[in-house]
Amino acid sequence: MKALIIGLLLLSVIESASAMNHGGMVMDEKGMIMNANSDNLPRDCPKISENVDITIRAGQKHALKFTGKMFAFDQQEWNVKPCAKINITFINDDQIRHQLMIHGLPGYLYPEGMFHLELYGEGQLQASLIMPSQKKTYLVHCELPQHMEKGMKAQLKVDGGNGDLPSIPGISAPVKADVYPVDWARLTVAILLLCVLAGFAIPFFVIINAQSIKNRIQKVLGKLNLKRKQSGIN
Amino acid sequence: MTKKHLILVILLIIVLSTIAVFVAPGLTQKAGIAPPATVYSRSTDNTSSVEKPCSNEHPEWRPTQVIEGVTIDAAPSCETDNPYDIAVSVKGTNNVSMATLMQTNLAQDALTMTDDLDKDGDPDVIHIKLEVVELNGASPDGDFLINTFDIAPGIQPGLWVYAPKSRGMALKNFNSVVANPLLRAPSPVIRVEQGDKVYITLENTHYLPHTIHLHGVDHPWLTAKGEDNDGMEEHAVFPGKSHTYEIQPRHAGSMLYHCHVQTAQHLMMGMSSMFIVEENQPNNWLQTFNIGAGQVRHPSVAVKKSYSQEYDLHYQSVDKKLSQIIQSANDPRLIAQRMRLDYNMTESFENYFMLNGHSFPYTLRDGMIIADENENIKLHVANLQRSSIALHIHGHKATVIALDGVDQPAGMQVTRDVFDIAPAQRIDLHLQTQNDGLHSYGPGLWMFHDHVPVGASTDGMEPGGNLAILAYKPLLDEQGMPKMHDELFDQVFNKDYYAKKQAVWNAGDFAPLLGDAGLLVPDYLQLIIFGLVTGLIIGLLIFSVLAYKRKQKQ
Repeated sequence: MKALIIGLLLLSVIESASAMNHGGMVMDEKGMIMNANSDNLPRDCPKISENVDITIRAGQKHALKFTGKMFAFDQQEWNVKPCAKINITFINDDQIRHQLMIHGLPGYLYPEGMFHLELYGEGQLQASLIMPSQKKTYLVHCELPQHMEKGMKAQLKVDGGNGDLPSIPGISAPVKADVYPVDWARLTVAILLLCVLAGFAIPFFVIINAQSIKNRIQKVLGKLNLKRKQSGIN
Repeated sequence: MTKKHLILVILLIIVLSTIAVFVAPGLTQKAGIAPPATVYSRSTDNTSSVEKPCSNEHPEWRPTQVIEGVTIDAAPSCETDNPYDIAVSVKGTNNVSMATLMQTNLAQDALTMTDDLDKDGDPDVIHIKLEVVELNGASPDGDFLINTFDIAPGIQPGLWVYAPKSRGMALKNFNSVVANPLLRAPSPVIRVEQGDKVYITLENTHYLPHTIHLHGVDHPWLTAKGEDNDGMEEHAVFPGKSHTYEIQPRHAGSMLYHCHVQTAQHLMMGMSSMFIVEENQPNNWLQTFNIGAGQVRHPSVAVKKSYSQEYDLHYQSVDKKLSQIIQSANDPRLIAQRMRLDYNMTESFENYFMLNGHSFPYTLRDGMIIADENENIKLHVANLQRSSIALHIHGHKATVIALDGVDQPAGMQVTRDVFDIAPAQRIDLHLQTQNDGLHSYGPGLWMFHDHVPVGASTDGMEPGGNLAILAYKPLLDEQGMPKMHDELFDQVFNKDYYAKKQAVWNAGDFAPLLGDAGLLVPDYLQLIIFGLVTGLIIGLLIFSVLAYKRKQKQ
């Protein structure tokens, strides 16, 4: 019965959040913070294990170190202990909008499982969140159309995480990789032809040297037989 | 074996071969008495692909209402605009309450309206911020498209659009890849007042360079700071950068804005819409954004004086070969290269034709003109497709009141039923619904469409394209959908239909007659005879060869 009441309460919280978005939201002309949490411990955490200060920069220029990307964060991976409190300083180096979203968090603390920072343009903001104790990898991304797809994707690992997410720039391979043409130089072709020729020559080599190969094999076999006989005697 | 035997065997082989030729089975065959059965669908997917004609998500958006003191006209159609978007578009994001802004996806600085410079009761300094959004784009994370926007059932061409600066999730919800309703084709129609100081900031959220060129709008060549103000290719706004264009238009009329970087391609990707300068009038609060074009639910003071309703009709076409490029790779270099070098527009076609971002039957959700009798309706029509349009409204003759944003003098206002509109041209029409046998033939569900035949097709499938309806109110149901069309709806609100997996006439009395012909059952008797005969021929040949060799040895 108690669980039912709590469930209903939670449900009503989520409903009102989706209707007005006022629930855990702070918003001004520069940006917004959704579902920040600096006080409430996750159910599985008796206390905060560590306080981590992280600065995350977002912008087009951070993609320069990767080929084939357009937007990126300045780092792609963060590691924290279970039950860590993370104080994020989010800096937008671009003149456009960027977001920092963390997904998969417990819904009773973070409605819809999400922590969301958004800057409407150049600037910075700060917010905290407390991670649960579970060993898990969380997706960190900007959700503007094509921003994650074009590189603004990172991961936050608690307790070492449970593996890498796909297509994190510089860390993991995409699920659906692009296809590129291969650089076929003259040298490449020459090496290929040489290998074909060598392969072709092997049978001829065997036929020409058939007798000597036979002799050698017999010698080896003879020795083996001798050894076997000796061991048999022993 | 004697010579006599050998001749007999050879003769036998010839006869058998002749028989084999006559009974040989082919890839196609004449049916004889029993032609194959009718096939109604070739879809391998067993789940129903029929959609509800109208999802009826927001019936509360349809009636007349007042939000933030802004009167919003009724709009009976199925998918009408969010009235909160309209209220914010009229008042500016800076003049509405947080609660109102929260009902939209607009960013807090998307539209700032201040300073009544001429003291006539409306703001005259307007800051507009636009972002660039990719719809139906690729993802490196799997074989799916993201920020999807269906132009018709199951049809998701890659598109680029300008969108008012927004906030929050770009997707409709967490378990979805569908774009939120603010992110859609066409790019929004923008309205400003004559004489206003307008600052349009392009915040390039896309991964390729773009500009805004204000086609036909009175604008100086350079900004006050001496920077580019014409949106030309050599002054492209690169990814992550922003640029502000400044105008104070002296002349009112229906104009355009579009991207001028690799113009042919970017225009065809959807980066274009109408930019309408309205006459200066006292207390003239304009609906700055008309999201997705269509009915203007808060018309200007001047329009209200002479007309009962106002609509923006944005015609657009898509070449699927071009739009597939952004779905074929994720690396911006590959996309740029394929669009610039590999794609040859002179060897391409238009495959999809859209009115206000949708092809039929989705045009019935938000692309209809809805009228009563004896109305005077103003239509702003823009041709932003590649080929010319011959617009025809069934049952009506409308009158041209302006061409390319310049009013036609009284003596040159032509009344006719086909309007030729070259690419980038705009015409303003006065549509009258007086049942007088000239301007209107009376109430009905009157189709209107581009009369160039391909315009009414979707990748060659009809009915499709920019086909829409001028509907008289009594003929609409409570969800704003045309009555008496249930059978047609079952057929066309179905992705299998446009995927060409379904017979064109697959329902009703004529379905068995006009459905697709299936495959013929093979004639097994013929098949058995053919098998036996060919086997025998091969056996005989081997036998005679062996016999001949043995004889020679002897």
